[in-house]
Amino acid sequence: MIAAWVLVAVGLSALAILLYAALRSRTRPGDLERAVQAFRALDIQAFRNLVDFSEEAFLRDHLPPRKFRAIKRQRAWAAFLYAWEAGRAAAQLAMVGQAAQRSSDPTIAASGAQAAENAFRLRVQTLRAGVILLAGVLLPGLQSRPIPALVDQYERSAETLFLIGRGSSGSRGLEVA
Amino acid sequence: MQWVNWSDALLQFLWVSSNVLLLGLGVVLWRRGLYREFPCFFAYVLFEVAENILLYVLFKTRVSGNHYAYVFAATLLLSIALRFGVIDEVSKNLFRESQFLKVAARRSLQAISGLLLGVGVLLAVLAPGNTSARWFAGVTVVNRGAAMVQTGLLLSFLLFSRFLGMSWRRHAFGITLGLGIMTSVDLATYGLGAEFVSWGWTRFLNLTITGAFFVCTSIWIRYLMVPEPKPLSVTVVPDEEVETWNKEFQHLLRQ
Repeated sequence: MIAAWVLVAVGLSALAILLYAALRSRTRPGDLERAVQAFRALDIQAFRNLVDFSEEAFLRDHLPPRKFRAIKRQRAWAAFLYAWEAGRAAAQLAMVGQAAQRSSDPTIAASGAQAAENAFRLRVQTLRAGVILLAGVLLPGLQSRPIPALVDQYERSAETLFLIGRGSSGSRGLEVA
Repeated sequence: MQWVNWSDALLQFLWVSSNVLLLGLGVVLWRRGLYREFPCFFAYVLFEVAENILLYVLFKTRVSGNHYAYVFAATLLLSIALRFGVIDEVSKNLFRESQFLKVAARRSLQAISGLLLGVGVLLAVLAPGNTSARWFAGVTVVNRGAAMVQTGLLLSFLLFSRFLGMSWRRHAFGITLGLGIMTSVDLATYGLGAEFVSWGWTRFLNLTITGAFFVCTSIWIRYLMVPEPKPLSVTVVPDEEVETWNKEFQHLLRQ
């Protein structure tokens, strides 16, 4: 009996999500300005410091265990928020990249393809990093696991965004979406 | 009695008009050359037209309940197989522009399919059926499990694409939306059918499924009739501003 009602609940929830997706999908153009602002808003040096192993080792050596765990929890949470924002910026960049990919200008199209590819990789890495950082928030006493090459990927994504800009810096400026 | 007449008339109207719409959809797919992009969906549409005509003729000629059930079950199983083909086609279309996603998404989807299959089998077996014929109960179990897996896969596409910032092609989105609505309504009505076994409820649920099919066919027509939009210029950025961004990024990369 319960299983039958679970089927009904799953079916109706899926229907609601599908209708929501249909309504939301109407207007989602790639907006380069929003992508750039999202990338600009992140202080990558601060993120680097938050996930730096030597900094963590220094704090571990110089602070009492309880204090260290409290500080590590705060650092992991701050880093998680950075990763979250980097992920959102990556999703923005992916939309811009895909729009640029359909440009009639081959230079912009090639840069767009590269930007989208890098953005997808960055998005997936922010997910992995988020899981590791959340584990750090919940279990601060554990030795931190290395964050997947998030910073490198972030920089590569920023570079491709730069390439889209360069590719379009002719007389027309940049036209995408 | 009046309700029975009224619901019978509505059921037949929805059944016939869905078929007419499907036939129109087949013509649209053919004339726009979309059958090359979505061959499995094209095959599915043609198969559904043939299936519905066959079932309608059998229904009208008043063949025995057993004969009708055999044909219904056989065509249902083929329809389920074709729907899986359509889902595979949509996923290829969605991930075609990214080499990274082709690999990563395929792995994730395989894992999700395995998980959904397990849940689908569990729920389909645990939920009681409303039929006494054993073989038909088996077909119903397969159909419930398949509806669970198909709904889950289609929802995963939507959630993945939203999470990754992927933009859908209009045609693929329309096919996904229509199929998703159909499988999720199927799932809910099978659940209700297992709980409410009276004749009145069975009629109502038949009407709901046929109505959902009519809605889905209309959605497919709506999305596939409209040509894929050309990229429009929504962001025009002056050169000076592009230069400012470039400086910002150079600064960021040097940090």
